[in-house]
Amino acid sequence: MRFARLVLMFIASLPAFAAVAATPPADPSQVLRGAVDEVLGIVYSGKTQTQPFSILVRPVLEKNFSFDLITRRAVGPGWRQFTPEQQAKTIALFAELVIRTYADRFEAGAQPGITYAAPVELSPSKRELPTTIDYAGKKYSVTYRMELVADQWRVADVIIEGVSMIKNYRDQFDPMFQRGGAAEIIRLLQEKLAQVPVVK
Amino acid sequence: MKAVPFKFGFWLSLVLLAAPFVHAQQNLPLDSTTKDAIDEDEYAVAKVYDPLEPFNRAMFKFNNGVYDYVFRPVSWSYVKVTPSKVREGLGNFFANLRFPIRFVSSALQGKFNRAGLEAEKFVVNTLAGLGGFIRASDGVPSLADVPSEDLGQTFGVWGIHKGPYLVLPVLGPGSARDTAGLVGDYFMNPTHWNQLQHVDGYHWWWDTALQTTDTVNSLPGLLKLYDDEKKAALDPYVSVRSAYIQYRDAAVQR
Repeated sequence: MRFARLVLMFIASLPAFAAVAATPPADPSQVLRGAVDEVLGIVYSGKTQTQPFSILVRPVLEKNFSFDLITRRAVGPGWRQFTPEQQAKTIALFAELVIRTYADRFEAGAQPGITYAAPVELSPSKRELPTTIDYAGKKYSVTYRMELVADQWRVADVIIEGVSMIKNYRDQFDPMFQRGGAAEIIRLLQEKLAQVPVVK
Repeated sequence: MKAVPFKFGFWLSLVLLAAPFVHAQQNLPLDSTTKDAIDEDEYAVAKVYDPLEPFNRAMFKFNNGVYDYVFRPVSWSYVKVTPSKVREGLGNFFANLRFPIRFVSSALQGKFNRAGLEAEKFVVNTLAGLGGFIRASDGVPSLADVPSEDLGQTFGVWGIHKGPYLVLPVLGPGSARDTAGLVGDYFMNPTHWNQLQHVDGYHWWWDTALQTTDTVNSLPGLLKLYDDEKKAALDPYVSVRSAYIQYRDAAVQR
């Protein structure tokens, strides 16, 4: 009797398991809107007066950006010649630089207006999400490239007015790697971080 | 029936024999290394034609000095004494005034629909936006996001190569093609038409004042963009060059 009840309970719970297993990843547009709203919420909440902005936004960016993918692509084919330790160090340093410089772009004042255009499907696991930012009387085109990483949509590149963040860093890292390999890139990232303060 | 030449027949049979293997190869699941290579090629470093790099780097350094010691203090003081709404209104006014550049460039590229939208936008902003100070066209969906055109972009659409990368004194990053475009844009900008001389009581410095206001008003925004790019860079010269080339290539594509 007890056994029969257990079997029944198991059978009854099967649809729930199936639902969990079949849950599709969230819509990338929703993920992006959620992340942007969260960042703007922090900037205009007044919390930044007590703590540096880059520290407050870090969890949001770490959750929504794939720094692993971004760093790997920013370095380019030379990435395969990095040791696992060098790879881990480069990802940590580069993520820190991106977070600090991203935080530095925000200024106190009027909140920017953001318009989301229809997403463009590049492949089943890649989307481009074009947005327009209206700030201080000027409009800027900002496109987020999002990719499915371990069933989560993550930001894999930010293209501002046609300028890709990854391409810009690739153009810088490439001659550095040719000159001094992984060690040179790590050295220059450390040097740069020493110059970029934790802002606000 | 015409005989198939030996060589051609040999290659044809080779291709036919190899086809199933090629197909099978394409359907194989990609390992992570192959995937990386495909992804990374998207951002492959393109050769930048920068034969004047030593001169450009020196000019880049010189310009940074000009921006730091001349433009930045002017921009800082201007922001301090001018309310943001006034700066925004002036920015809209001068952008509206540059209508001939966008209109003529769109038409020269054969984008007549875009030229028409530019004309509509100019009329709406001039009449409903108090002479262009208010961007009234934002309220009209078809006019809210008309891509801006200039003569440098027009040359690009015509297939003229961008030529060597150039860092111009004071003006900053550019290319041979865009520098030629800039000269044309200068003459199409009504602030250089000296039209104020038809106004009663005209003084020669009125035109200079108008042009200076346009330049000074655009300084804070331009310096912010330039600084953002430089601050995040490990090699500021390469970063600004890469940003400029990507920005202009994207503008030509739009």
